[in-house]
Amino acid sequence: MATLARPVGEKLPNVASANVQIPGIKDYEEVNRDIAATLTPTAGWFGLLAVAVLCFLWGAGTFIYQIYWGLGNAGYNPPVMWGVYIISFVFWVGIGHAGTLISAILYLFRAGFRTTIYRCAEAMTVFAVMTAALFPIIHIGRPWKFFWLIPYPNWRLLFPNFKSPLVWDVFAITTYLTVSSTFLYVGLVPDIAVLRDREKNPLRKRILSILSLGWRNSEPEWRHFARMYLFLAAFSTPLVLSVHSVVSFDFAMALTPGWHATIFPPYFVAGAIFSGLGMVFTIIIPIRKYFRLQHIVTINHLDAAAKLCLATSLIVGCAYLIEFWVAWYSGVEYEQAYFWNRVFGQWWWAAWIMLTCNMILPLSLFSQKLRRNPSWLFILSIFINLGMWFERFVIIVPSLSHEFEPWQWGTYVPSWVDISILVGSFGWFFMWFLLFIKQLPVVAIAEVKEIIPPRLRSHRVPDDVDVAGHHLKYGTDTPGEFE
Amino acid sequence: MRRGVVAVFRELDALVEAIEELRENKYAGVTVFTPTPRHEIEDALGNPPSPVRRFTLIGGLLGVTFGYWVAVWTSEYWPLVVGGKPFASWIPYTIIGFELMVMVGALSTVAGMFTMSRIPKIIRTTGFDPRFTGNEFGIYVEAAPERLRDADALLRKHGAVEVRDET
Repeated sequence: MATLARPVGEKLPNVASANVQIPGIKDYEEVNRDIAATLTPTAGWFGLLAVAVLCFLWGAGTFIYQIYWGLGNAGYNPPVMWGVYIISFVFWVGIGHAGTLISAILYLFRAGFRTTIYRCAEAMTVFAVMTAALFPIIHIGRPWKFFWLIPYPNWRLLFPNFKSPLVWDVFAITTYLTVSSTFLYVGLVPDIAVLRDREKNPLRKRILSILSLGWRNSEPEWRHFARMYLFLAAFSTPLVLSVHSVVSFDFAMALTPGWHATIFPPYFVAGAIFSGLGMVFTIIIPIRKYFRLQHIVTINHLDAAAKLCLATSLIVGCAYLIEFWVAWYSGVEYEQAYFWNRVFGQWWWAAWIMLTCNMILPLSLFSQKLRRNPSWLFILSIFINLGMWFERFVIIVPSLSHEFEPWQWGTYVPSWVDISILVGSFGWFFMWFLLFIKQLPVVAIAEVKEIIPPRLRSHRVPDDVDVAGHHLKYGTDTPGEFE
Repeated sequence: MRRGVVAVFRELDALVEAIEELRENKYAGVTVFTPTPRHEIEDALGNPPSPVRRFTLIGGLLGVTFGYWVAVWTSEYWPLVVGGKPFASWIPYTIIGFELMVMVGALSTVAGMFTMSRIPKIIRTTGFDPRFTGNEFGIYVEAAPERLRDADALLRKHGAVEVRDET
């Protein structure tokens, strides 16, 4: 006979590890019930959605205003011709990276804690990249001509220059959006099938039937699905590293002080994952609280994700310090003057927001108590989001405002148009996310079933004991599931 | 006419034993339904690895070829003469090649999964029961009518909570 799940009565260590289990759940039906229960709309949800839609409409209206009156309404002021739009572009692409890291890279590494949070993170990726892709279009003066960047046969036989980093961006972002949304959707198919079979309303059942593509949970389907999932993860892993590297080339290929550095690709990728983990916490902590999913997204999962966040924060902090060291060691006075100006001169406030939020505050995650405290993680995640937006501000604006010659020096103040579109982008992102969480499961049903012990005939157990015969006393959020 | 029998199982070990005995008795048309993929079932069925990887390989190779080709062709077609250097420079074109490899490779992997598991399905699948997306495992055995009685008994013996005919 084939070997069965796991030995009975085995003592597991009390650490958040790859072997994360969910003792609060007893059987597959409970998974279906608890996760499907999150789909009922509530007044609070409608309220949040209304706020998000209003923010989005405000931003969209401002964009129309900008199209009508011209790009001069944005705060661009020579020499600073990249501002809030490019900052927000880099910020939103970065947010997306943690989602793919959690869904693909941690899948390849068999990190068990990813299972319950990856669906949320993956949806976040898709919506963040959708948001990011808008910004270069908003940034160009004639947005209706953005398709000129795509090589398509045209009667003038004009093609983009493939040596330009901006064209690389187009390819990277398009691929990223395509692959991450495909990954999200195919992962959802078995879960949509679950919802389809539970649904009573004929219209919704019909829609879910179409979306589930007639998925039947049969073994051949799973076999091909698992293989496909593995390869998609294997493709997404180098993709996620490449996308922010390509975004960093937008800067690193230029000679501008502060930009022309080989450290940029790893620095950007680590920063992207760090900022994305911040956004994951911002999203998942309210979800697990208000959807009552504490027994599924357990403290151990948050703890493990917080360790990842701490590791990326240390990499980012190290990159910040190395930048100063390189400026000093290079002996190039433009670099040195630029970095001095960045931390102690014109832009000190932005640089210190960045250093405090991204380098100093996350050090608190060395404390296990704080890692296991969702309130602190939530507060910290807001600081991380803020800090990472300012990181991109600090990379872009101070460099452009302090180039080689004093006559090139300038300053930059975002206008109300910039700020409105930034607010609108948050509205757009959260609008999609809120619509997602009430239509489709926020936790991967089929994958959660994979990590809970299956029902076995060989030892029938009373209802208050799980099938594997342990985890007798379990309350939600008890630190250490295996006590 | 009876075409097959559907058995509903609650327990994984019961299901695995039933699959193994069905295989010993040389039943060919066995389809297993499971709420979540389990290695135990995979081992018991002993099916060959999924051929989806071939789609991945072909798609990836096509993508990387097209990516380099479109960039090289554009440079040759629309030459930008800089310092007597070759028009096409393969180093930056690696980005285009890589991104298109990932995009075409990923999409063809998904297409491979769709082809191999025959989805989207628009007709009702014989032997499927909505409980198989919930709590229960299922086996659908398709065989000649005279063998179905034995299959029925076999499935019940291994602890199927319900066995019904599928016509």
